[in-house]
Parts: sequence; C-alpha cells; structure tokens
Amino acid sequence: MIESKRIGRSLFRAAASALALALIPASATLAADKVTITFANWAAAEGTTKPSIEQVIADFEKSHPDIQIKSEAISFSEIARQLALRVKAGNPPDVAQLAGNDTFVVAATGKLEPLTSYIGADLKVKLKPDALAGLQYQGQLIALPWTLAPAGFWYNKAVMAKAGLDPEKPPRTIEELTVAMAAIKKSQPDVIPLGLDTTNRPFSLQSNWPWMETFGATPIGPKGRADSSEMKRYLAWMRDLAKAGYIDPGRKIGEFRPLAAQDKIAFTWDQVLLQGVIQGANKMPDAEFYKHWGVTTQPAGPSRKSYSFEGGHQLVMFADSKQKKAAWEFMQYLAASADAIKTYTLGPGASIPPLSAAPSADLAAKLDTPVYKSFSANIVPTVSTPPFGPAFASASSGIMAGVQQAVTGTEPIDQIAASIQQQLERQ
Amino acid sequence: MIAGSRSPAGPWLDAMVLPTVGMLAIVVGYPIVYALVLSTENYNLLSAESARFVGDANYRKLFADPIFWQALRNTALYAFGSVAISALLGLTLALLTEHLLGRRGRLARALLLTPWAVPFVVIAFLFRYMYLQNGGAINAVLLAAGAIDAPVSWLNVSSLALPAVMLTNIWAMTPFFFLLLSAALAGVPNEVIESARIDRAGTFGMIFRIKLPFLRNALLVSSLLMIIANFNDFAKIWAMTQGGPGYSTTTLVVYVYRQAFENFAFGYASAIGVIWLLLLLAFAVAYLRALRRN
Repeated sequence: MIESKRIGRSLFRAAASALALALIPASATLAADKVTITFANWAAAEGTTKPSIEQVIADFEKSHPDIQIKSEAISFSEIARQLALRVKAGNPPDVAQLAGNDTFVVAATGKLEPLTSYIGADLKVKLKPDALAGLQYQGQLIALPWTLAPAGFWYNKAVMAKAGLDPEKPPRTIEELTVAMAAIKKSQPDVIPLGLDTTNRPFSLQSNWPWMETFGATPIGPKGRADSSEMKRYLAWMRDLAKAGYIDPGRKIGEFRPLAAQDKIAFTWDQVLLQGVIQGANKMPDAEFYKHWGVTTQPAGPSRKSYSFEGGHQLVMFADSKQKKAAWEFMQYLAASADAIKTYTLGPGASIPPLSAAPSADLAAKLDTPVYKSFSANIVPTVSTPPFGPAFASASSGIMAGVQQAVTGTEPIDQIAASIQQQLERQ
Repeated sequence: MIAGSRSPAGPWLDAMVLPTVGMLAIVVGYPIVYALVLSTENYNLLSAESARFVGDANYRKLFADPIFWQALRNTALYAFGSVAISALLGLTLALLTEHLLGRRGRLARALLLTPWAVPFVVIAFLFRYMYLQNGGAINAVLLAAGAIDAPVSWLNVSSLALPAVMLTNIWAMTPFFFLLLSAALAGVPNEVIESARIDRAGTFGMIFRIKLPFLRNALLVSSLLMIIANFNDFAKIWAMTQGGPGYSTTTLVVYVYRQAFENFAFGYASAIGVIWLLLLLAFAVAYLRALRRN
C-alpha cells in the first residue's frame, strides 16, 4: 500500500515536471510575442495628467495583451531637446508626444516615420477636416493629432458688465477691443485688461503669431519680413497696450490663469483648458461658469481676419522603431478611442478630440457645452500654422526679444523692426 | 611636496595620481578639446548633414554679433557689480556684528546667513513674484511708502531689469561674504587690536588701517571665487527674465544656452563657449595666484 502510494507520488511529480517543461517553451513564446513600445511623453511627467495617462496605458495593455507600453516621462520644455539628442545617439523611443514647433524641430532630424501610408480611409474620415492640415513636413504627414487645443479669446462677462459693456457682445475688432480695454482700465484699475504671454520662448511666438497675422505681419517665412509696415504696426500696437497698462508684460500664459479665476483678468488669449483651471481654483459650477465666461474668435485687426494657433498635442513615430505596427495601434488608440478620449483628452488633458463626431453618446453629451461648441465650430477653423521648423525656433528668440523691446523700451519702432530683421538675416 | 620628495616611495606615489589625471582628462579635458573642435565647425544638431569644418567663421560671426557684445557687457556688469556690492555689504555686516556676543549675536548671525541657505532657484522665483507689476510685494511697499506713484514693472523695463536681477543676486550672495569676512575678522590678532587701541586709533582708523589689511587676502580670494561663480550663473537669470526684456539681461551663459539648446547651433555655441572659457581661465589663474600668495 505504502509502496503504491510512493509510486503514485513519483508518477505525479514526473507528470507535473513534464507538464512544467512543456509549458516553459509555450510561455517563453508568449513572452517573445509580446512587444514593448517606448512612449516618450510629458503627460506622465505632470501631476495633473499622470494618473489619467497611466490609466489609458493600462486600459490599452488590457485590450492589447500582446503590446506592453514603457512610458518615459520627460518634461514639456525638455522633450524636443532630449528627442533630438536621442535621435543623434541612435536611441529614439518608438512613439513620442510633441506639440507645436517641437514636432517640426524633431521632424527636421529626418528620423520621423512618415504616416501618410499608415492613416487609412476609415481613420481619415473620422478626423476633423482641418486636423491634419498643419502636420505636413516635406509633403508627408509626420504626426497624428492627439488633442486639439487652439487659443480662443476668452472674455469675462462679469468684468465687462462692471465696466458698462455688454457682456454678451465681446469685441470683434482691434478697435472695439481698445475701447473695451479703456473702459475696463478706467472702471477697474486692478484688473489686467488683456492677458497676453510676451515672454521670450518659442511658445510665445506661436501664441503671438495670430496677433501678428491679424495685422498682416509675417516676420518669417517665404515672403516674411520683420521690418514690414504691417509688423511695425503690430509692434506699435503692442507698445500702446503696454503704455496704457492694458497688458502685464513678462507673465507666462499659465500665470494669467489664477488671476482669471479671481476676476483679475478681463480678456485672455488661452486654450480650452482655462475652464478647468478656473473652476479648479474657484470651484465655480458649470452653469455659473458659462454665465461668467465666454470664448470666441480673436478680434480682427487690419487684415479683417481672425486667427488662432494650434496648441494641441501630436503623436509621432520614429523611423528606427522596430515595432511600427504596434506603435501605430497605440497611437490610434490614444487619438481616437472612446476610452482614451474620456479618460485623458476630455479629462485632465482638457482639450478637444481631433474627431469630427464624438465616438459615443456619452462623449457627445460631454462635448455639448458652450465652450467646446465655440472652439469646435468657430475657433478651430481660424487656426493658422506658422512656418514651423528649426528656422522658427531660431527666429523666435530674436522676434520675441524685439516684441519685448517694443513693449518695455523706448527705442523707435522702426529701429526695433530693423534690428529684428538684421538678426533674422544673420541666422 | 610628494612629487618633489626624494624618498624611495616618491615615484610610486606619483603614479597614484594617474587615475585622477586620467579622470580629469576624460571629464574636463575631452569636453574642452571637443568644444574647441566644434567651434571650428558648422554643426547643427537638427541637420541631417554631418559637421563641416569652417575654420574661424564662427569666431568672425561672433565678433560681428552685437548680441554677443551686449551679453559680454551684461556678464561683466552682473559679475563685477554684484560681487563688489555684496563684498561691501558683507564687510559692513561683518564689522557691525563683530562685537555682538551671546544669544543675540548668534541669532543675528543666523538671520543674516539665512539667504545663503535658500536655493538660488527659489530666491529667483521669490524675487520674480515680488517684482511683479500687479500684486508684487515690492511695488506694494513702495506705493504704501509713497516712494512711487504707480507700480513699476521692474523686470520688464530694459533699463531696470539688470539692476533688479543684480539686487536679487546681491541679496543671495552677501551672506557668503559676511560669513567669510566674519571668520577673517576673528583671525585678526588681539595684540594688534590692543596696540592700536593704546595708540588711540579711532573707529575708522581701526577699520581702514588695522582690520582691512588683514582682510585683504580673504576679500580677494572670495571675490575671485564669486566672480567665477557669477560668470556661470544661469539659474537666477533664466528663472527671472530668461535674458529679457529684449537682451537686457542676456549674459554669456544664457546666450550659449539659447544658441545650443534652442537653435541647436552647437558650432556657434561652442565658439561663444571658448571665449567664455578663456575669460574664466584668466580669473582662475588670478584666483590660484591669490591662493598661493595667501
């Protein structure tokens, strides 16, 4: 009896060992089949967006068990530099999050995978018509829009009403804006009439570009000149704004947001995320927010046209990626899946999805607000893409230094414009 | 001493420094040599083309670049101006607190040293917000005191921005001089002080004829050290003004950063770096000589 038990145990051990040995190659094959995608992004580097991007990645991995995402957190201000260096070192990630001029700076390395052949008709038809317009480099689509975040002209209805202005009629032209700012400055001297970022960084040039354009000025580009009469007119206008105390030079865009939450800003040039920042700071309910704030297109300048800049985020794939199919799968998921849009894009990402129609009724309801509707219907069509690329990055320092000289100095405008042009020619 | 030693252990000990020399050659020597090579090349990180030798073209461009000269002027003003005023303030504070003894003395010294304990970036942001035109503490105080009629945009007026940044730097640096000069003052021999008192030396005579000569070396060494540190000061300027408005607070280090990491023009940035290195080298030699004399 004891002997037979021992034999039974031995047989069981042998069978278990054989089964284990048989399973090892199978699990090794499974591990070998699972591909890992490296994803360089700043969403995981910022406290507000980190939990939601991690959730989106976890959801993706759950629905795609054969793909694993290795998220690499890099700060927004560092990502282009780090990616350019990593490309030179032959160690780029598979996918990266980029925005604005940085997308084109990295594209200039020639190491971004063209996406023209990846984007199928089914996805193309889902995207907003303008979503892909500004993402071409040397005739190829080099990025997939992840979120859209154009700048809109936000107006504080409460401040306008206090100044005796009609809160439902925001200024439509530069002349109307000047009249409104004068009334606000007179009635509420502690309120900054217009929040404009005039710091010296590429983002500021991107942010100020639509204001230059509405004056007909294009300081760089194929026919661009910084010493044109249009540019001088724009610089003179900026000087007038500063002299009258209508703008507060030196503040970054983010530094105007807490002031907006305290009703210390009348008009501000900002993206859709402003609503979340204001409500996060002053806990204002949605209905009250829409009574208090409105957003519309930029007041038109001498060109009689309104412009905006696209501050949204894009996804790029690197040409050296060994897992392009999986990388594209992940990029599509981030940009167009209902889960990712709900968790990230409309969550802490506080942006507009790049899709023409919401992928679910639930999301359609979330997008049915005066702010989202104004951005989608009115502001997105005014987006104009500056001549992005390495030249834009080099020019930004000279142009914004000139804008600062106009705003804060006393040198004649002609001299400042000529000095910007000379600097651009030296580069 | 060891190198010059004639003991049998001498050559063996000489060989012991080789790893350090090797390490220095890698972490200091190689970047310097590479920067020198890069400064003679047209090298842009974003360009698909490889670096191309251009001889002295980067240097010719540099010497014709008005922003470079403005940055050099700003660097000199920032470094020498801040150090001169901080040293003077540090010396004054050291002399004033010299005879403060007991708990009150310790408390005063601890308070005076506090700015030195605050990280420079924190100081920069602190002052940036204090300088704000709307809501800044400095304008609020000056308005309340009736010193100004309207808020001043300290960091956004070309003529005020550099002095405003320098003031921040002086606030941060004065404790260093105070600490060093207090220690040097404590080292002045009592016999000398007593002899001077017997000779009825007045307060000013005591300071200018007795104490200051004893502090000369400490002042020289600490000033040179701080001039070198200020030549390299990036954090405060970047956090406060990013070199603006215009180029009014752009120093060499800010200009190098913009050229290298915004324009990715590594060749041109290296040429600026080489000039900057030569200037720093001159101060480093002066510093070493002062140390040797000490």
